[in-house]
Amino acid sequence: MKIYVDIMRVIQREENRAKPTRILYGANLSYDRLLKHLDELKTLGVIEEIVESDDRFYKLTQKGIEFLNQFRAVERFATAFGFAI
Amino acid sequence: MELVAFIIALAIAYQALKGYRLTKQKPLWYTHFGFAVLSAGLLIDSLAGLLGIVARTLRGTITFTSIGYSIYFFAQLLAYSILIYAYVSQTRTLNTPTSPVLLASLSGFATLQAAPGIVARLLGSMVEYHPGSEILLLFLVFYVAVQTGTNYSATKDRNALLVFLAFLLLALSHLFFILQPISPLLFVIGHLLQLSGFASFLAMLLRVTRNQ
Repeated sequence: MKIYVDIMRVIQREENRAKPTRILYGANLSYDRLLKHLDELKTLGVIEEIVESDDRFYKLTQKGIEFLNQFRAVERFATAFGFAI
Repeated sequence: MELVAFIIALAIAYQALKGYRLTKQKPLWYTHFGFAVLSAGLLIDSLAGLLGIVARTLRGTITFTSIGYSIYFFAQLLAYSILIYAYVSQTRTLNTPTSPVLLASLSGFATLQAAPGIVARLLGSMVEYHPGSEILLLFLVFYVAVQTGTNYSATKDRNALLVFLAFLLLALSHLFFILQPISPLLFVIGHLLQLSGFASFLAMLLRVTRNQ
């Protein structure tokens, strides 16, 4: 779960348009693991892949944006009580 | 006032449940369960209070308020125990700074229980809000307040401050309930402190869920 959120946050930080290499360094993952997680996130429908002139980008879907907002609220709630997520 | 507190406690329980469903983190489940039990106790106490007023008006003899308080007491006992367990299980060991506080709280309670004469002289005759039960609740809530205070001092997070403030006000309310034989005004102040505590919870909830 935490890795998914890290990847999605990197995409969001890149103004919702992140190349795989940016995500790789931002989320601190190996390339194989990154591809695996990106496929899983695409299957969940929270990110989508965009191909433009041989360049590949990833962006958050509306579902992904809503999930991040919910997770942020949960994180703030848990932190308020002193629980680590 | 208990009805307002019930709604806020229920909202906290709901938010904790949403968090647990999303993250599957056990402390959030314990928080949900604790506040759900607390909200149930508050609801029963408030309804019992209303029924008690009606019974007195109709010259009834059924002690609704006492039954309601008893149920509320056990609900609080369970709720705060669950929250304490959530904090203790998170640290995973008793060899942490939290254990001295817990031991001090329980020792303080045990000492008071061992000196009933002193307690009786200090607190006067038994009243509806039994001092012994309030003393136990005071120590339990105080422990949770210390935990949340430690969290705030570490994070300096405003939401953590609101949670710490909430538990501190709840602990103070129990202190005033213990002292209420001295003056009926202390009973009212105790309830106001309790309501303020839940207002602090509400403020935290509104802050964490904004822009959700």
